[in-house]
Amino acid sequence: MTVATPMSSQQQIRELANQTDAEHPTVSEYTFAMGARSFIRAWGSAMALAALGLVLWEILVRLLDVQTWILPPVSLILAELADKPSLFLRHASVTAQEILIGFAVSITFASVMATAMFWSRLLERSVYPFLIASQTIPVFTLAPMLLIWIGTGIAPKIVVVVLFTFFPVTINLMTGFKSVDSDMVAMFRTLGASRWQMFTKLYVRSALPYLFAGLKVAAVVSVIGAVIGEWISAASGLGWLIKTSTPKFQTELVFAAIFTLSVMAALMFIAIALLQSRILRNYPGSNPQGGQS
Amino acid sequence: MSQTSEIPSNVHSRNENSFSSSTVNANSPRSQSARISTTRTRTETLAISVRNASKSFPRPDLPPVEAIADISLDVHLGEFVVIVGPSGCGKSTLLNIVAGLVEPDIGTVSLQGDSDAERIGRVAYMHQIDLLLPWRNVISNATLGLEIAGIPRPDADAKATELAQRFGIADFLNAYPATLSGGMRQRVALLRAVLPDRAVLLLDEPFKALDAITRAELQRWLSDVLDRTNRATVMVTHDVEEALMLGDRVLVMSPRPGRILLELDVDLPRPRPRDVVRETNFVELKWQLLSALDVDSAR
Repeated sequence: MTVATPMSSQQQIRELANQTDAEHPTVSEYTFAMGARSFIRAWGSAMALAALGLVLWEILVRLLDVQTWILPPVSLILAELADKPSLFLRHASVTAQEILIGFAVSITFASVMATAMFWSRLLERSVYPFLIASQTIPVFTLAPMLLIWIGTGIAPKIVVVVLFTFFPVTINLMTGFKSVDSDMVAMFRTLGASRWQMFTKLYVRSALPYLFAGLKVAAVVSVIGAVIGEWISAASGLGWLIKTSTPKFQTELVFAAIFTLSVMAALMFIAIALLQSRILRNYPGSNPQGGQS
Repeated sequence: MSQTSEIPSNVHSRNENSFSSSTVNANSPRSQSARISTTRTRTETLAISVRNASKSFPRPDLPPVEAIADISLDVHLGEFVVIVGPSGCGKSTLLNIVAGLVEPDIGTVSLQGDSDAERIGRVAYMHQIDLLLPWRNVISNATLGLEIAGIPRPDADAKATELAQRFGIADFLNAYPATLSGGMRQRVALLRAVLPDRAVLLLDEPFKALDAITRAELQRWLSDVLDRTNRATVMVTHDVEEALMLGDRVLVMSPRPGRILLELDVDLPRPRPRDVVRETNFVELKWQLLSALDVDSAR
């Protein structure tokens, strides 16, 4: 196929993009048909293992005749979930809100920090050690102080989520900036690129795989952050539900809440992985199946 | 714009389709006379002038590495100069100095007679590895330099599309680098280097990473595709045949610290067919280069 018709270049590019052949599926094909198939390929075995574990749990609990207040069988936990969907939905939405806001704050913080450190070596040298040091503070002990400092609303929960998630995102983004190939930088320099052009056209794009790696870690720990935040003081949320149900020996309720939390974390992880496989489709080593990075 | 000394031969070099006919030409008895009137496109305009450049790199706890020592080099517009030398002889350092990526410790470099001006961004530079951005397709990789120069996207795309035909990548404009062969990727990298239309083109072992067959193919392709008339080209290689296939002039560099040991004019007619390697003239030049490179036995 030769490009010789007097179309505008934009048109030509769009034409090329819409060409369908077996080797290069169009964008829409990637999204749906391949998405579903590749999803099963990437996550199918993990889901099968989870199912096997749950079945074993059910059988063992029943065989060994374990008291339900010590460890309820899976069927009872699922029944609890099915019995009170509005309860779990209400508390889950509270927790989800804390997680998502905290996550957004962390990404913003990480972007600002990493960008500032890219532009200023001095800033990088002076701030970087404190970023590392911040991770040695046990957040669990700091959380009650947040109560004193910023009260009992949603704010302290968001702060705890941020304390858990900003680090993996920031460090990965910075590592991404630092890992840019020096030959690439030389190539950009010989083309006459300004520092800003180099930043937007090379550094940001090269750092994306690192950013996604950080986001995946953050997605998982963000749930822990929200639960800890709710543990200290809350009137709702899944963490609060677990905390208040445990002393009442409502074990199936506790496990149902834990299940919900796990599902939330998994959904966030999967959402990020899917986004990653879409955005990084053409990066080397990225598999369009969208699995682990 | 550039003046060529020999008009008839210049016609040869510009005509891409004359490849097969000139193959016959080179083997015919007339090839002797053709060799005398080589297809030089060299002009009197000095494009690169390196004067007594030396460069060493510091090492912790060790004496500094002397990369190049007292190198002087003049390249005129329209000239294709090849530098050969053993690995690690400072060839790449020399190119980096010309490109403005590195400044020499001693000596001066001027581009088109201007020794004070910033060189970076005024020289087209193609590296050993293609350095294509994996997240960009062929056309937006090729137009990167134009994009950086602020040329509007449609104009840049049009310019690239026009040349893509000659570069043999017209069918792959929308493909991503990961799906291309090494040879194709090098073509795209060269297109990216030449699109901003700079007077100086530096090629740092552009075919090093390729297999022998692709390499031979791209050597022939390069001499066809490059319009040498408005450009000074400096290529670095350690392949003596490649140097003679492509160069108007070949410089031999010594092992580190790199000095220029020999300067050789390659008065072989262009375009040079593959079987030029069997000609006595070629064999003689090759021998001269090899003995200059083989420092131990030459001494």
